[in-house]
Amino acid sequence: MNPIRKKRLYSILFVFLFSVSGISLILYSLNSNLDFFFTPTELKNNIIPPEKRIKIGGMVLEGSVERNGSKVSFVITDYENSIKVIFEGIVPDLFQEGSGVVALGYINNQIFYAKEVLAKHDENYMPPNIDIENDS
Amino acid sequence: MIVEISHFLSLLATGLFFLAGYFSLFVSSTSYTSNLISRTYSQAFLLLASSFLIYVWLAVTDNFSVEYIANHSNSALPIFYKVSSIWSAHEGSMFLWIVFLSIWGFIFNIAVNNNDILKPKTIGIVSFILVGFLLFLLLTSNPFATILPIAPINGADINPVLQDPALAIHPPTLYLGYVGFVIPFASSLAFLINGDSNIKWEKSIKKWSVMAWVFLTIGISLGSWWAYYELGWGGYWFWDPVENVALMPWLAATAFMHSLSVSIKSSHLRIWTILLSILVFSLSLFGAFIVRSGIIDSVHSFANDPQRGLYLLAFIGIIIVTSVLLFISRFSMIKPSSNIKTLSKESFISINNILFGTLIFAIMLGVTYPLFYEYLFDQKISVGAPFYNAIFIPIVILASLFLFLSVDSKWSRGITIDLFKKPIAFSAIFSIIFVITISFLFNTTDIFILLSIFAGSLIISRYFIEIFRYLFNKKYLNPYSAIAHLALGLLLVSISFNSLLSTERALNIKLNEYEEYEDMKVYFKDIKLIEGSNYDAVKASFNIEDEKGNNFNLNPEKRRYFTRGQITTETAIHITPIKDIYLTIGDQLDDGSWIVNIQINFLIRWIWFSAALMSFAGIMLIFSKKKSNI
Repeated sequence: MNPIRKKRLYSILFVFLFSVSGISLILYSLNSNLDFFFTPTELKNNIIPPEKRIKIGGMVLEGSVERNGSKVSFVITDYENSIKVIFEGIVPDLFQEGSGVVALGYINNQIFYAKEVLAKHDENYMPPNIDIENDS
Repeated sequence: MIVEISHFLSLLATGLFFLAGYFSLFVSSTSYTSNLISRTYSQAFLLLASSFLIYVWLAVTDNFSVEYIANHSNSALPIFYKVSSIWSAHEGSMFLWIVFLSIWGFIFNIAVNNNDILKPKTIGIVSFILVGFLLFLLLTSNPFATILPIAPINGADINPVLQDPALAIHPPTLYLGYVGFVIPFASSLAFLINGDSNIKWEKSIKKWSVMAWVFLTIGISLGSWWAYYELGWGGYWFWDPVENVALMPWLAATAFMHSLSVSIKSSHLRIWTILLSILVFSLSLFGAFIVRSGIIDSVHSFANDPQRGLYLLAFIGIIIVTSVLLFISRFSMIKPSSNIKTLSKESFISINNILFGTLIFAIMLGVTYPLFYEYLFDQKISVGAPFYNAIFIPIVILASLFLFLSVDSKWSRGITIDLFKKPIAFSAIFSIIFVITISFLFNTTDIFILLSIFAGSLIISRYFIEIFRYLFNKKYLNPYSAIAHLALGLLLVSISFNSLLSTERALNIKLNEYEEYEDMKVYFKDIKLIEGSNYDAVKASFNIEDEKGNNFNLNPEKRRYFTRGQITTETAIHITPIKDIYLTIGDQLDDGSWIVNIQINFLIRWIWFSAALMSFAGIMLIFSKKKSNI
């Protein structure tokens, strides 16, 4: 092979290997940082390791909100299955019993320890995968 | 009646824009057609601008027979918010977006001489883009629709969290930035269509690009600042999909401006420059699609309508495919005549272009991956801060190191980088000592935080040396570059310290008692009901005594707005140059105590100050008379 072609081949190979490794690094990091979303029913059908960060969504069960110091606990339900959530901090303005909520955190022994509790800034917001008429 | 006039004027404008586009791209060009195109564009613009001004007038005079105004404004609002209600939802904000696009074209039209060889084509491309978006507006999202025969007596009000000065000017600023890149985009397409590689078009679009970049920078920062004090979460960046779609064009625009300055000097990196001009505008359009199609769930997204999403996607697809095909067909014309020298300034800029491209790719993946994943596996996922941090931190540190080395490099020729050369060695030693001190002082071994501080400190100290040499040795200094890059260094350092030192805790305090947090005493002095013009609220009063014995009051509120029953948190923030004390009030517990969230946010003001400083460098460049490089 003549030297110019050889040089060109090497540089193409270099660029190719470089981009492949770059893209695989990005994809790897994406895969290890995904937050999966579950409803309480889906949660029941899946086994989630306690170190895996997930999102759960549903409605706050009426009468389930209990406060203890700065901790708040409540039950997220899709009216088929439920899960207890414990959260330390201030719940968002739109958080109330009987309305939709999404929590981000870790599950351990059937209790969900939330790091964040979200309620969308939209009074008609419904969490995904739940089709219940919300008349509030 | 008046709304029909406004509607009719936009229709006329659409027709005239179409003519301007048709003349410029499908009629052979003479000096007669150049003048004709220019005049047609200006007239179309005046029609569209009058249409918009009439619409603003309708909003100010509470004309609730217009459906959009009835749904988003209210007669009790101050005039300022009546105007800003126009861009508080999809139809009106799209209208504004289009008007801004036409303004950029208009200013270009009057600023550039008709003899300029690329002008007619540039104006033509802008016109066709305008036609596409005007049709989108009129066919799928008509802001002129009326409620007949009986108009409501009052409007539905705008969302109270949007009733805020920063948020009233945040969308217009951001839009001006987004659509401003239509000028570089249309110019580079005009250059490709024209096909003469000797035309030096890059120089003429430099200030346009910087101006659009400044608007984009300010727009993003305003949004970040607003979210910090209004939403009550603290924090300046949430990696929300809509923030991400604003960050992508910003990154692309930053890379574009750097490539552009290389192309102006030596016609190198023309491929990058043209590709990036296409990328910036495409990403701006992609942002519009994401926000307006409702396919992504976000705090910012507008109500969704699949028809709109489909139209936008198709139109944006046509624009992108056409420009990319044009680019490929003219590839041989823009191929550089010689290779870039290793370790020249150009080589550093192209390396950082690749790094910026990687960042954009990563964000794009993070934004779109959940969509594909749900489609393929029927499982909802979301991509949060950990992913973006894992990508951004190392790449930004790497890019900063290349920037640091590039300060000593020269245009068009390689240098031997001598790590023991005085300025490099001095900055490096200074930064190493600084980082080691920080590590001991704050007892941290977080390698990424320390490396970020190191990178920031390298940049800052290196540019300070340059400024000293300029002041005392009269060495040449590019002031815009120096200020903008100093701001970048400052940004890195502020973000690192912010994430290293900031803390947060939820306290529960009874009235007339106090809690201690981080050497501070938080006294709960009072809580009462107050009434505002369109809301009632509980307003708490706290007295905080810090570790030095200074006292100050903070009064967070929780408001309930009458028209929508929406509850909002009003934060109370004590600002000092080093840290913010940030209070929000939550609910009352059964034992009578209240939950109060307290945050200490370090150097957060410096983050926005850095962004302001970057914009300032851009503004300086726009108003400079001297020809210079970025």
